[in-house]
Amino acid sequence: MPLFILDDATGIGSDDLDTSQAFIDLVIIANDDGVGLNDPASGMQQVTYSRTLNGAPQQRLDALVNTTFSPDYGSGAQNVDIIVIPGLSGFTLDDGTSFANNGTALPPASSGLPGATLNTTENCLVIYDTQQNICVARDGTGGDIDLPISNPVVLYHEFSHAFRILNNTLLGLTAECDPSSPEENAAIIDENDLRTDIANRQGETPELRDPGIHCGNVGCDSGCCIIATVASKSFTSPQVQYLRSVRDHFVRSTEVGYTFFEKFFRDYYSFSPQVCTIMASNPSISNHFLEGYINPLLDFWKVMIERSKQRFSDVDLGAEFVRQCPDRSQAEARLDALQLTATYWLNQDSNDSEVPIELITLLRKRAWPSDHIQWALVAPVRIYYDMLERYLNGADEETIGREFNCLLEDWAPEVPLSDVWASLPKEQVVKELEFCGSALLQSTNNKKRFYQRLKDRFHNITSIKVVLNGLSDVTGGV
Amino acid sequence: MNNDETKPDALGVSLKSIEPSDGDIELVVRLSNTATRALHYIADVRVTKYNPDTKTLTLSLSDEGREVIPGAIGKLPVFRFIDPESEVEIRLRVPNRIVKLSRTAPPGELAFVTHQLSDVEEIVINIAWADVPYYKDTRVKDDKQFPTVRWQQHKTRATKSLKGGHKPKS
Repeated sequence: MPLFILDDATGIGSDDLDTSQAFIDLVIIANDDGVGLNDPASGMQQVTYSRTLNGAPQQRLDALVNTTFSPDYGSGAQNVDIIVIPGLSGFTLDDGTSFANNGTALPPASSGLPGATLNTTENCLVIYDTQQNICVARDGTGGDIDLPISNPVVLYHEFSHAFRILNNTLLGLTAECDPSSPEENAAIIDENDLRTDIANRQGETPELRDPGIHCGNVGCDSGCCIIATVASKSFTSPQVQYLRSVRDHFVRSTEVGYTFFEKFFRDYYSFSPQVCTIMASNPSISNHFLEGYINPLLDFWKVMIERSKQRFSDVDLGAEFVRQCPDRSQAEARLDALQLTATYWLNQDSNDSEVPIELITLLRKRAWPSDHIQWALVAPVRIYYDMLERYLNGADEETIGREFNCLLEDWAPEVPLSDVWASLPKEQVVKELEFCGSALLQSTNNKKRFYQRLKDRFHNITSIKVVLNGLSDVTGGV
Repeated sequence: MNNDETKPDALGVSLKSIEPSDGDIELVVRLSNTATRALHYIADVRVTKYNPDTKTLTLSLSDEGREVIPGAIGKLPVFRFIDPESEVEIRLRVPNRIVKLSRTAPPGELAFVTHQLSDVEEIVINIAWADVPYYKDTRVKDDKQFPTVRWQQHKTRATKSLKGGHKPKS
């Protein structure tokens, strides 16, 4: 009975460990009745499992929980337990490797297996980051690293290593991640068993990891657009898919855009899960969100993406806005919904009794102070709101386009500047400026304002100075 | 490396600032390239070590010294390059504490030791670099050595004392 979750230990506090998340991950792996956790003893909680299902993940978990492993690593058989160490922030091995956004299974100290010298115990330690945000290679794509890996899958991957460590059948490991080593190949094949099992439970097609590639990156958020997901009630709704597409093919396609998104993502997830909790207990807010916020935001970005493909005149821009608008009755309903949104999201000074005070407090504390949230999620809806009002008041396309362009002049060049600009070589600065110019800024005034901000902020960075000085015809002597 | 060698001191590194940030510590590192060609470097922390006796935090942007162990992913380094005769800045984030397995605990006990980085008195930064981009070496090789270690030509070291101020607050 050798599987434990660490609950407390000398040198750290129980608050430092994410024991409850580890148990949730085990329950998801098993998807079976009979998974339990004994009361804490000696800082650990023993996992129990009485299996009723016959899938590969259940059988593997059953084996790990209900077998007494006594491997002989060369100096006689010894009992080895597995201890899961979940979510220990700042955890670092003796060789300096951090386990933020990763996991490992360390063999017992005396086993002589790879990683054994980094273990101080005679147990097999399974260590993983429960806040991880990892992306791995998707099977069948030739190595596209765009497949998310959830916490249960990370834990199950490490269980695969642990199983072979406990049976003294660990395969070869190499420092190369492409191609993956035999040991990692085997763990990924096991990992895919769980991915398949989870997909089958939900009636979905499994998304599998390429067993031939062990490489991965940080930054593959599977939880994109959580508010849109809750409001549209689906991970795969058109709204969520469109926002993902904007994220991956528009915002994150450049170095600056990628870094912008990282900061935005961090700020967004500082409040959005709580917003979803509030929405869950306030159905009227949830129902209102889709038409009063998500769809207007989407339609704004649809117009912006079309605008990025070609230079729009005022009338072109107005026509594109009108083309994206729903029919008149729906547009009127949307304006009503936007008026409620305005009370707590756009004006940001609401004490409206229709809006839960906890939502206002949360937004005031976490969302509104963020310049990334203001720029990407607040100002666009405010602009859209203005344009929709004009449209419903009978403005023609040229007027709408002209007003739209005026509002964009105040908004577009104020995009929050990322520090990554300071690290870019000249060639990259040029490319980023080209992208910003065509995708976002377009007008000479916008470019001037943006270049001035760059110059003020990064006045001592060689590459930016050189490139901007070379653009003096555009900057007008900025 | 060819005969037209890039000098080992072509990449200059200095620690410009160190500040607390969202529960982490953020360091701004300034790089300068005095060579007449671009230099390529690793731009994220690969190894974090703390010596409690000397209160020295060493951040290595290099895979040197890392062991090959089982893991969820083989995490690729972030590579960047710096133009000839120019300067750039990169930002590094490290958690405000390091937790390690204790080697002084009684036998059989799983225990940890925590180092708060607010105690740091000296920071050392090592940056691996080369005058060519990282490329995959397809020759037969020691497969326990990280491929980025075979690629790196030089490692530049910068040291900054934090005694007497500029310590990150925890």
